[in-house]
Amino acid sequence: MDQMSEEDRQHILESSPVGTFALMSAVIGGMVVAWLFLYYGVFLPRG
Amino acid sequence: MIDATTRKLALSHLWVAFAAFIVACFMGEYQVLERSGFFPVLDSAPVYFASVSTHGVLMAFVLTTFFIMGFGYTIATTSLKQPVWNKPLAWGGFWLALVGVVLAAIPLLTGKASVLYTFYPPIVAHAAFYIGATLLVVGSWVWCAIMLVMFSQWKTANPGQAVPLPMFATAANAMLWLWTSAGVALEVLFQLIPLSLGWIDTVDPGLARTLFAWTLHPIVYFWLIPAYTAFYVFVPKQAGGYLFSDEMARIAFIVLAVFALPIGFHHLYMDPEQASGWKLLHGIGTFVVALPTLVTGFTVIASLEIAGRLRGGKGLFGWILTLPWTNTMVLSVILALLMLIFGGFGGIVNASYAMNAMIHNTAWVPGHFHLIFGGTTIIMYFAIAYYLWPLLTGKALFSNIMAVTQLWLWFIGMAILTTPWHVLGLLGQPRRISSVVYNNLLTLAWKPYEFMMIFGGLILLGSACLFIYNLVKTQLNPTSETVVAEEIEFAEPIHAVTTLPEYLNGLRLWNKVIAVLMAVSFGYPILQFFFMKTFGSSAWGY
Repeated sequence: MDQMSEEDRQHILESSPVGTFALMSAVIGGMVVAWLFLYYGVFLPRG
Repeated sequence: MIDATTRKLALSHLWVAFAAFIVACFMGEYQVLERSGFFPVLDSAPVYFASVSTHGVLMAFVLTTFFIMGFGYTIATTSLKQPVWNKPLAWGGFWLALVGVVLAAIPLLTGKASVLYTFYPPIVAHAAFYIGATLLVVGSWVWCAIMLVMFSQWKTANPGQAVPLPMFATAANAMLWLWTSAGVALEVLFQLIPLSLGWIDTVDPGLARTLFAWTLHPIVYFWLIPAYTAFYVFVPKQAGGYLFSDEMARIAFIVLAVFALPIGFHHLYMDPEQASGWKLLHGIGTFVVALPTLVTGFTVIASLEIAGRLRGGKGLFGWILTLPWTNTMVLSVILALLMLIFGGFGGIVNASYAMNAMIHNTAWVPGHFHLIFGGTTIIMYFAIAYYLWPLLTGKALFSNIMAVTQLWLWFIGMAILTTPWHVLGLLGQPRRISSVVYNNLLTLAWKPYEFMMIFGGLILLGSACLFIYNLVKTQLNPTSETVVAEEIEFAEPIHAVTTLPEYLNGLRLWNKVIAVLMAVSFGYPILQFFFMKTFGSSAWGY
């Protein structure tokens, strides 16, 4: 952190949070899959 | 520097909150032991329901209300850099709320208010319970008034400037709570107190449930907003970075305050007194309120990513490892978000009109709200307390290692407690039962999950004791004096905000929007009780 140049620091502050996009996509995708599993795999078979 | 009055005011509120919390934790562990049916000596439905009612009231009303008030006073004075407006009134609100708690505690602990924390009629408690609860709410209204006056005074004194984000969130929560508590206040004042005093013979439970539904969902956001406030204003700084976007945070608080209110009928999906069209309307609104949570998740994780990269993290996820995991605020937000993912998923299932039938009134429901409230919300209350205690007491935290251990134990304990609780719901275990008898294949299948819940509860109880011990040792430490920063360090956004459009800097517009939405979503559903022909009871009971 101490060795980071001002240029690198600015680059980090101005770049897109790609890791966050990836994490959020995974979480939302996981929720959709889990919801579909519960709906089609558990709820509907119970009649 | 926090002035002496604010310190005393905040610490008084927070200690009442945490005293209620530790008592409720012991009750919680008793309840899982009793309900499991493994210990016949504990079997007692009256004691169980008295305990469940007290546990719910202490956790959901006393811990939260006092914590939010104490936190609010701290936020208001430090972010606006002005003293508490009308200190005698603030103390008056504190004592009023405390007298209310004591008054409500007497019938609760003597088994005369075993009505659970939702106190749905036709079960009726002793009048002292309702009167005590009313005093607690009125005390919290005093806090709301003080927060909104301070918010307004600051805006008048600083025209054109952006209200500090922490105060914007706190004022939004005060506005939300005034709207939220109005529903239950109408129910208690016009139905339950007259009924419990014998002034009237009957009430319409449908109207009571409708009015409680008005309160029951937004109250969750009243509890959650301090946690979200910490996400936005403490976490980025503690992680060594910046807030990704101040404006997105304000939008999240506004959408939370506006859309948390007109959606309560998802608690009434199975009730007969409201038509399915109204329930569908509220159901759609329930999904809308998931949006600010997604915005919050994105903004907080993006802030953490910036911090992690500034600390040398590389690659798509390498920044996660460089975060300061031993910082209690940072660790708490990571664990809180993890619990929010699973708790949020449970909430989406609850809100799904059709699927709600599968889990309605089952053990899934307490599993869900323990994960969201006991998990996400309370772990952030811990983090806030660990951060504020040195500032409020002037003494360094007794043990950071103990605090980090406590947070991990809370997370692990909550996972072990709530996972089987959800499964039990899917296996058909009803909620609100006082014991299980293992005499058929259905209940025999519940046995291992009941055992796991006892174990999870024990871990949570141990964690709660560690939390209180750490705070007590910090405050009573005779040698340690101010060795920490004297000012609260609020996170700065990447792009500094100086001016904002009024809709992102004030609450007047949103107050009007809420009024319209509430009139649309609750107007006819409430008025119908006064127009429809009823037999044997009338709406208010008069």
